[in-house]
This record gives sequence, structure tokens and C-alpha cells, in this order.
Amino acid sequence: MKLDAVDAVVIGSGAGGGVVAKELATAGLRVALLERGRLQKYSETGHDELRSQRTTVLGNAFGPDDERHVRLIQVGDDKELRETLPSEGSYGNVAACVGGGTFSFGAMAWRFLEKDFRMRSTYGAPDGSTLEDWPVTYEDLEPFYTKAEWEIGVSGKAGANPFEPRRSKPYPMPALPYSKEGTVLRAAAERLKWHPFPIPMLINSVAYQGRPGCIRCPHCVGFACEVNAKNSTAVTVIAQAVKTGLCDLRTECVAKEILTDAQGRATGVAYFKGRELMEQPCRFVVVSASATESPRLLLNSKSRLHPKGLGNNHDWVGRNLQGHAYSGAYGLFRQEVFDGLGPAASIAVCDFNHGNAGLKGGAMMANEFIRLPYLFARSVRPPGAPRWGLGHKQFQRQQYKRCAGIKGPVQEMPVFTNRVEVDERRKDYWGIPVAKITGKRHPHDIEAGRFIADRAAEWLKEAGAETVWKTVAGKGSTGGQHQAGTCRMGVDAKTSVVDRYCRVHETDNVYVVDGSVHVTNGGFNPSLTILATAYWASHHMVKQQGKVKA
Amino acid sequence: MALPAASALAAAGYQVLSAGEAEILITLIDAIVPADQDPGAKEAGVVHFIDQQLAGAHKRFVGRYRTELPKLDAACRAATGKGLAELGLRERTAFLERVDQGEVAGGAFFQLVVDHTMQGFYGAPKHGGNRDGVSWRMMGIEKMMGRHGGHA
Ligand SMILES: Cc1cc2nc3c(=O)[nH]c(=O)nc-3n(C[C@H](O)[C@H](O)[C@H](O)COP(=O)(O)OP(=O)(O)OC[C@H]3O[C@@H](n4cnc5c(N)ncnc54)[C@H](O)[C@@H]3O)c2cc1C
Repeated sequence: MKLDAVDAVVIGSGAGGGVVAKELATAGLRVALLERGRLQKYSETGHDELRSQRTTVLGNAFGPDDERHVRLIQVGDDKELRETLPSEGSYGNVAACVGGGTFSFGAMAWRFLEKDFRMRSTYGAPDGSTLEDWPVTYEDLEPFYTKAEWEIGVSGKAGANPFEPRRSKPYPMPALPYSKEGTVLRAAAERLKWHPFPIPMLINSVAYQGRPGCIRCPHCVGFACEVNAKNSTAVTVIAQAVKTGLCDLRTECVAKEILTDAQGRATGVAYFKGRELMEQPCRFVVVSASATESPRLLLNSKSRLHPKGLGNNHDWVGRNLQGHAYSGAYGLFRQEVFDGLGPAASIAVCDFNHGNAGLKGGAMMANEFIRLPYLFARSVRPPGAPRWGLGHKQFQRQQYKRCAGIKGPVQEMPVFTNRVEVDERRKDYWGIPVAKITGKRHPHDIEAGRFIADRAAEWLKEAGAETVWKTVAGKGSTGGQHQAGTCRMGVDAKTSVVDRYCRVHETDNVYVVDGSVHVTNGGFNPSLTILATAYWASHHMVKQQGKVKA
Repeated sequence: MALPAASALAAAGYQVLSAGEAEILITLIDAIVPADQDPGAKEAGVVHFIDQQLAGAHKRFVGRYRTELPKLDAACRAATGKGLAELGLRERTAFLERVDQGEVAGGAFFQLVVDHTMQGFYGAPKHGGNRDGVSWRMMGIEKMMGRHGGHA
């Protein structure tokens, strides 16, 4: 069915898409916001560890479902591809609901540092990496980081992190208090002459913008917030966009492809509402479907002028998939360090993001989010400890509250062959070719991971942990919950997909605005940077696409 | 705490497992999280968790349970002269350690059962295991889990 034209179709209502929809609608443009998932409420999912977005063994509470979605993945050195379902870790899922990943995320709210935008200039690219500078700087994005912090809502302590570059405004809310673990770790970090500070969070520490403050519930990362204190795009910018009356949020609508005319410009989007194929004409298209689904959509949008997919004449779409090479350590203490209060992750240092001898980059290090009982049973054991039997049970009973964990999202070196493609032979429920994910981490990521794991172990030992063991990221394929990089932003159309305003080089009325455009992914959780980039891109989009009658 | 015996649980009926399969499965989960001063996986009803999931989220594993449970039992008989259900906890555990270490076939399946047992024992009671939140009580976190709707 062909619908009446709108100004813009935004595909995906996650971090990037949510901000764009709001910015366009408040600028007076008519927007159709397509989301494959549903608008979810806390009460539908509650606090079920086995169906949280972190431990998805019985399914993803926030989508997508195992029945209609599948990907192909290369595992380790395997030549054969394997099918993988959304509830399996190897799928690399974020989410499928209004708000995308932000509806159930952990909500750490990091600004990247200046050097994170200038990785090639700072370090030079190692062999086998397409390491590059961003075509925008920290200073370009700073006003938009500030806008994200104030419009969406971040709690934090300005000035507490001595490595943070200039900021034009403090945070709108004070930081959440340190957890018990945070207090123990703070003293230790200070003894080490490091610079600990409270983690900035996209969580209300006090009532803000008509929603309450955090109640320190332990069911935080991976869950919807019971009191609506977590600042997803669903409850902030998307709600505002809808309120303008100009943004039509269409849930359970799966975009199939971008339609183009004889000149190669976009004319609209084809999508499925249920099984019915709809056609939504528009003046311009914004792709914000996440770093796996955005390239998939572009690659599935083939035409005479875009034979290899839209924006892909130089074969860069889907390349340079990145995530984070998470590494760290666990420690067991004589005394209890666990207070059961959410979000639990509370303290961080940025002493090892840069300036590490022999390494390119590094990571912010923070204590971990709460580990609920099943996750603790499966993933927190020193090497050689029994995984079942009485020994397992004893550990679970005695150590749960005596354990602390520190991890860092180690910055990855982009690799051209780490990629998302589409497989014409394997189609999903709607008949759309599925995403195929292949490649493996650059060896440097593992080296940097070992370094960060050593620092984490050092921190825990200083804090008094008696047994300490390290965890280092594996060599396999990347992406996952922090997926990024697959539609690189750049100046040269031959070596990137979008320009510095997120516009596709080859098609002047198609934009990509989500984690895909990240040239590099920082040593931080990525969403505040995705939100800031979306504000930056929207600012320019409104100028470029103006207010013309549809 | 009054908990029904394994035979009574079996009589309660399963959606997917046959009585024979359930009997073998119970011998496994009982070794994976045995009872000590706190109830184990058998007492927590984990067999019902697994059965319920095999009819739902874990549908794709039904075939493996069907073929591998009797195989493991037969392997046990071949190795020890007795079926799993005839062995006491200590002998059963010793046999399963050999399976786990790859000395006897069936390690991958056993790992799957370990994982499903952990899910059932530590997950929310509404899924059929962790009856009365016994694992949370054991860990001293029943208030933390309960207050925030873990039972919901
Ligand atoms: C459990 C968890 C914890 C996390 N914790 C943190 C944290 O503490 N801090 C942090 O910074 N980040 C965190 N993240 C990561 C963060 O959520 C992501 O980086 C962020 O949401 C990515 O934004 P995006 O705009 O690229 O894509 P997404 O947020 O993934 O949004 C993409 C949207 O597009 C929709 N979509 C996809 N394909 C289609 C289609 N064909 N048609 C219609 N709609 C489509 C999807 O359903 C989704 O809603 C976490 C993620 C998870 C899952």
C-alpha cells in the first residue's frame, strides 16, 4: 500500500533515531518513525533475570524474537558459517523496541576524549587496521554532548574526572552515591595515585523533567526501569517528538529497503506492517537501525545505480565492525563488599584510556554492574573452580557478596575485513536477506586487553582482594552490544560511507545516524556519543533539508 | 521445609519429558546442584523448569534431550555396571566428572544440562524451578530479589 508522503522517514527508534525524530519534528518537519519492535512498559517484563537484555537465555525481553530473526556468524577460526538466534550471545544483539538499546541499557553516559576522535594522528595505524581520525573533533561535538546531557538527562560530577576535556556546562543532576564496592575501590585507587570519580549515568539521581529519581533497585542493566528513572530515548526525546503531532511512531514496522529513482536519489522506504508491504514516500531517509541492521538495510537496497547496495559503490558499507574488547578482573574479599543496590557500577578511572606505553589507546575502567545469581554462577569463577556440584554451590553461597569486578571497554582497532554482509540465500521471516557477520579482532585489542586486565587486578589487590583473577577478551568476531563503525564517517567518499554530517556520500537525501558512523569507538560505552552525534547531524540536516512542503 | 519426593514430582506430569527421561534427568540435576544444608536442584523443582522450557524457549533442545539422556544412562551402565538412578550421589558425581572431562562421551550434552540447571535453580520461581526462592535464600539475597518483583 502506498501512503501519503512525509518529509522524512527515520528507520529505527533507538539512540540515534530517537534524537533525529525529535529534532526534525520540533523543527516542523513531518516524520514517520519506523520501529520493528513494540512500545514496551516495565510491567510487561518485570524483573526476570533469564529474560533480561543481559542474560537472554529464555529470550530477549526487549526483542527481537527467536522465531522470526536469524543471523549467520563465523565462530572463531571456523570456515563454516553458523546460524545464530537473537537470544544467543553470538548474535550480537542490542534490542528491538522503542528506545532501542537505551530502553534497557546500563546507562553509563560517557563523552569520548579528544584523542578518541584523533586516533590515527595520535598513534598511527597498526598493520592490518584501518585506524583513522574522525572528520569531527571533540570541540565540534561538545555543544551536542551538553545538549544530550541536559535534554535526555545525565547525573554526574563535573570536574571530577581530570582527564575529561573542557565542558561548557556541568551535569544537570548530581552523581549517584558510591556503592559499598565503590567506596572500597575509591580508597584503593587514591592510594595508587589514580583519579577515581563517580560514573556519569543516563539515570535520574533526583527527580528530573517530570520523572522520579532512581530507587537503587538492583534490576537495572538489562531491564526496563520500574520507576521510569532510566533515561532512554523512549521516555524522553521520542515522547517529545510524538507530542509535537508531527512524528508518527509506527511500531512493529520492519523496513525492507530504501527505494530510489532513476537518478539514484531516495524516494521512500518499503516496509512490512505485519506481512503487508507498505510504501512510504518521503523527501529524505534517515537510517538509524544500529551498526548491524543499518548496513544490512543499505546492502539490501540495490538498484541500477546502486548495484552493490546504497552508498556502497566503493565497498565500505558494513566494513570496520567494532565493539569493545572488554577485559578486566574479579577479586574475592574477606569482608562483604556487595550492598545489593543498583545500578552497582559506580566508580571509574580514566587513567588508562591513553598514554599507555607501547599501546594505541586503552580503556576507561569501572566496577561492574550488578551480577544477578545466574550470571554470577556462569561467569564469575576463578580458573579451575568447580562449575557444578557441591563446590559450585559452596562458592555461590560464600562468595557472592564478597566479590567485586572491574572491567574496561577496550578500544578496538578497526579492521576492514570485520564486517556485516547480507546473505542472499538465507532470508528472514519477511523474506529479507539476513546479516552475515565475519572477521576477528585485531591482535592489538588482545594486547591492550591484557594491559587493562593487569590494571584491574592491581586495583583489586590494592583494595584488599585475597583471590584475584583476570579475564581478557577473546580473538573472535566483534560487534555485540556496543556495535559500531560499519558506515564510517569521512571526508573521502572512496574510503567512507557518510560525510561529517552523516549524509551518505553518494546519495544526498539519505543519512545514517547511529553507532554505524563511528570511525573509532573510544574506550567507553558508546551511547552518549551516538546521542551527541545525532544532535550534531540533526542540526545540519534541518539546515540542509529545510522546511519545504512535502 | 516440606518438599515432595522426586517420584511425586514425576507423577505430577510433564509436558515434554517422559517419566523415564525425567528420572534420568533428575539424577543429573541432583549431582549438578546437590542438597547439603540448603536444598539442591532436585528439591527446587529444576526438572519442571527444564520440562517447561523444552515446551517453550528451549524447544530447539528437545531432540538432544531425547537422544542423549538414554545414551548417558547406557554409558553409565557400561562404565559402572549400574544405571544413573542406581548410583549414589558420590558414584554418580565421579562418573559425571569423567563425562565432563571428556573421558566418557556426552560432555557437550552434560554441559547443556549444567547450564539449564543453573538457569532453573537461580532464575525466577515463576519458570518452574527455584521453588520458594531457595537459591536466593541460600545466597542471602531473598529480600533484594523479592522486593523487586523477582517472583513476578
Ligand atoms: C544490556 C545492554 C547494556 C548497555 N549498557 C550501555 C551503557 O551502560 N552505556 C552505553 O553507552 N551503552 C550501553 N549499551 C549500548 C547502547 O544501548 C547502544 O550503543 C545504543 O543503543 C546503540 O544505538 P543505535 O542508535 O546505534 O542503535 P539501537 O539503539 O540499537 O537502535 C536501533 C533501532 O532500530 C530498530 N530497527 C533495526 N532494524 C530495523 C528495521 N529494519 N526496521 C525498523 N526498525 C529497525 C531496532 O529495533 C532498534 O530499536 C548497552 C546495550 C545493552 C543491550
